[in-house]
Amino acid sequence: MPLILGPRRFPPIPCPPANTSASIALLTSVGFTQLSAHDYVKAIQKLRPDIAVGMVDLANKQPGSKRRGKMVDRTHAWTRDALEQLYGDAVAEKDKSKSAYFAPVLPLDNAQQSLYLDDLESEFRWDISGLALYQSASLGFVPESLANLPRLLFSEPETPQAILRDISLGADLLTTPLLGASSDGGIAMGFVFPAPAPLTEGKSERLPLGIDLWTGDHTTDTSPLGEGCECYTCKNYHRAYIHHLLHAKEMTAWALLQVHNFHVMDTFFAGVRESIQRGSFEQDVQTFSRVYASSMPESSGEGPRLRGYQLPANGPNQPRRMPKVYGLLDHAIQKYAEAQSEIATPDTGASGLEEHGFAEKL
Amino acid sequence: MLCHRLLARPLAKISYSTLFIPIANMSTTTAPTRKPMPSALTFDRHAKCSTTKARASTLHLPHGSVPLPIFMPVATQASLKGLTYDQLRETGCMLCLNNTYHLGLKPGQAVLDAVGGAHKLQGWDRNLLTDSGGFQMVSLLKLATVTEEGVRFLSPHDGSPMLLTPEHSISLQNSIGSDIIMQLDDVIATTSPDHARIKEAMDRSVRWLDRCIEEHKYPERQNLFCIIQGGLDLELRKQCCEEMVARDTPGIAIGGLSGGEAKEEFCKVVHTCTELLPEHKPRYVMGVGYPEDIVVAVALGADMFDCVWPTRTARFGDAIVSSGTLKLSHKSFADDFRPVEEGCTCICCRPTDQGGLGLTRAYMHHITAKETVGAHLLTIHNVHYMLNMMGKIRQAIIDDQYPAFLRKFFSDIYGGDKSKFPEWAVGALWGVGVDLLADS
Repeated sequence: MPLILGPRRFPPIPCPPANTSASIALLTSVGFTQLSAHDYVKAIQKLRPDIAVGMVDLANKQPGSKRRGKMVDRTHAWTRDALEQLYGDAVAEKDKSKSAYFAPVLPLDNAQQSLYLDDLESEFRWDISGLALYQSASLGFVPESLANLPRLLFSEPETPQAILRDISLGADLLTTPLLGASSDGGIAMGFVFPAPAPLTEGKSERLPLGIDLWTGDHTTDTSPLGEGCECYTCKNYHRAYIHHLLHAKEMTAWALLQVHNFHVMDTFFAGVRESIQRGSFEQDVQTFSRVYASSMPESSGEGPRLRGYQLPANGPNQPRRMPKVYGLLDHAIQKYAEAQSEIATPDTGASGLEEHGFAEKL
Repeated sequence: MLCHRLLARPLAKISYSTLFIPIANMSTTTAPTRKPMPSALTFDRHAKCSTTKARASTLHLPHGSVPLPIFMPVATQASLKGLTYDQLRETGCMLCLNNTYHLGLKPGQAVLDAVGGAHKLQGWDRNLLTDSGGFQMVSLLKLATVTEEGVRFLSPHDGSPMLLTPEHSISLQNSIGSDIIMQLDDVIATTSPDHARIKEAMDRSVRWLDRCIEEHKYPERQNLFCIIQGGLDLELRKQCCEEMVARDTPGIAIGGLSGGEAKEEFCKVVHTCTELLPEHKPRYVMGVGYPEDIVVAVALGADMFDCVWPTRTARFGDAIVSSGTLKLSHKSFADDFRPVEEGCTCICCRPTDQGGLGLTRAYMHHITAKETVGAHLLTIHNVHYMLNMMGKIRQAIIDDQYPAFLRKFFSDIYGGDKSKFPEWAVGALWGVGVDLLADS
């Protein structure tokens, strides 16, 4: 399985320290740090990924004109240095990197980064194997002479429709944070491409893009997450179980949802490739938008517990991220935390418990 | 073949148990006629250690055969901490635990009935054992008081008074459909100084056992185990054994241990109880434990164990290995490219050319206690380690090499330094004829 290495995670976690002319700021499991362009190249040489995404200077907020200039200059310099160290004339033939280098294109207008793009087209052209783009709009103005290179788009499409849009604009490799976000939210994705036959006239109800497994209608539903779905989760488990696991905050819930959602996404992309080959892509995209709802269902529950380095840095006086769960047991939190790490608290009152047959009211 | 070994053995070794059989018989003859207690299991004893009281057997349950002695991983809420049931199956697990208290709260009895029991709910086609929930009731709930009727407690949600009886617990376990169900017992800390209360709890547990037997709807497919109580008082334990053995449940558990009592006391209780328990029934020591506790308790004649420690410690980044535990979050593992345990056949440690993942300590260090996958992988390793250890224990008993196994086991953990062997283990094993300090 090919491995792609990038200097930072996607979507990135904004961090207060600023990038410098020699490094970018990151949040890691041990706190904020600076990753120098030099260290990143050494990491590429050592880790030997199939594809290395070049280091890029991105701004946390909408950059002003001065910042934009810096972004271009730094990225330009980092790309030149990285290519020199990986594939340059000074590197012995046997030491030249085998990794394919995807050069970043900044999320700016062409005019603002023309010097850099010119170099990509000329001096750097034969050392780069692809382009890494940071906004869908960049797809529109890839220079003619770089059009043959594969394009990896780092974006956050919120729906499969948005993914299709990026593909129509010319993206080849896409990031889909929506997949993980759906799993975390207890959503089992459920869409196929091309979409099933369009709805008959008069019916206006569109198909949902997924189902929220937190909701009460799944408590005793032993059907698979997706009808006829071939994924491991659907072949072995059912909605009632995932529903139970979500409510019990068991991490298996999210693991099984991830398996299902990856399957749905893989099948979706396979469908897209076939459709493009058939030449029916534009038409299939239109049908897809007519058949399916225009947004993912809302999640009605909480996600899995997140760890510090998965969260943005805390500002002062921020509210609790998760509501307290113990209620009446507050006085004993300390004691219980020491005794047991898997305390279950009923989420129903006395009548509910009685109905469950758990115990009876006195 | 194994039978020959048994028959050929001098009878002297089993004199302890024969000694007590008349007492048990006496109590059955004087006892009132009880509801007959069908059994949904068969217990085949293959071998008994010629030195210690260790037994190797096979427990045939409705969802498959379980080699004993066995460690049972704890899937409290119908899930083993991030693992799929195929991953659990691959560790060799034939029997795992669910908890009645937790399943009673979520998803609740109505859902269990509608779905068709806990096996169907979690997609597990092997055996399940459910604890009755008594322990959780008392330890987790505010203002739980135990009365003759049952456990009175305040609903954690709205504070209204409620009552959980032995009948509720059994009815729930009937809905869960577990292969082994536990009686509701009156659980108090073994370390309680109130002797009268300990005796009351023991007597009450016996009375509750009768109510559980009466309530149990499916004895032909679910095996009810009694739970011996009596704190650390060996006389009470003896009385309880006598009473409960007379009720002829398919299996017997020793309860109330692993609550912070001294290990010497723990060993005495297990030793005393196994002396009085019938040879042809499985014996389950609840809530135990660490590898050292298990190997000693096996020598004292126990067959089944459960503990959350191996899976919980995995989530903190600790791997169980033959030399003890490795704290993989320690930075000394950052560039240690050996597998977690050399020669381990779990999917994590097994090399890639043998179909494993071939993961290194360095990789585990990198993800452990950070990514949930780290927890999943170490949970697999730790459960596999425990089950593999039980397999080795069983083979050693069958080969009649258990004392040698014990010496090697402790030597591995303490780096061959006998002065570091825990005194309680040396003492307890001495009591069953093994000199841990002798040269092997």
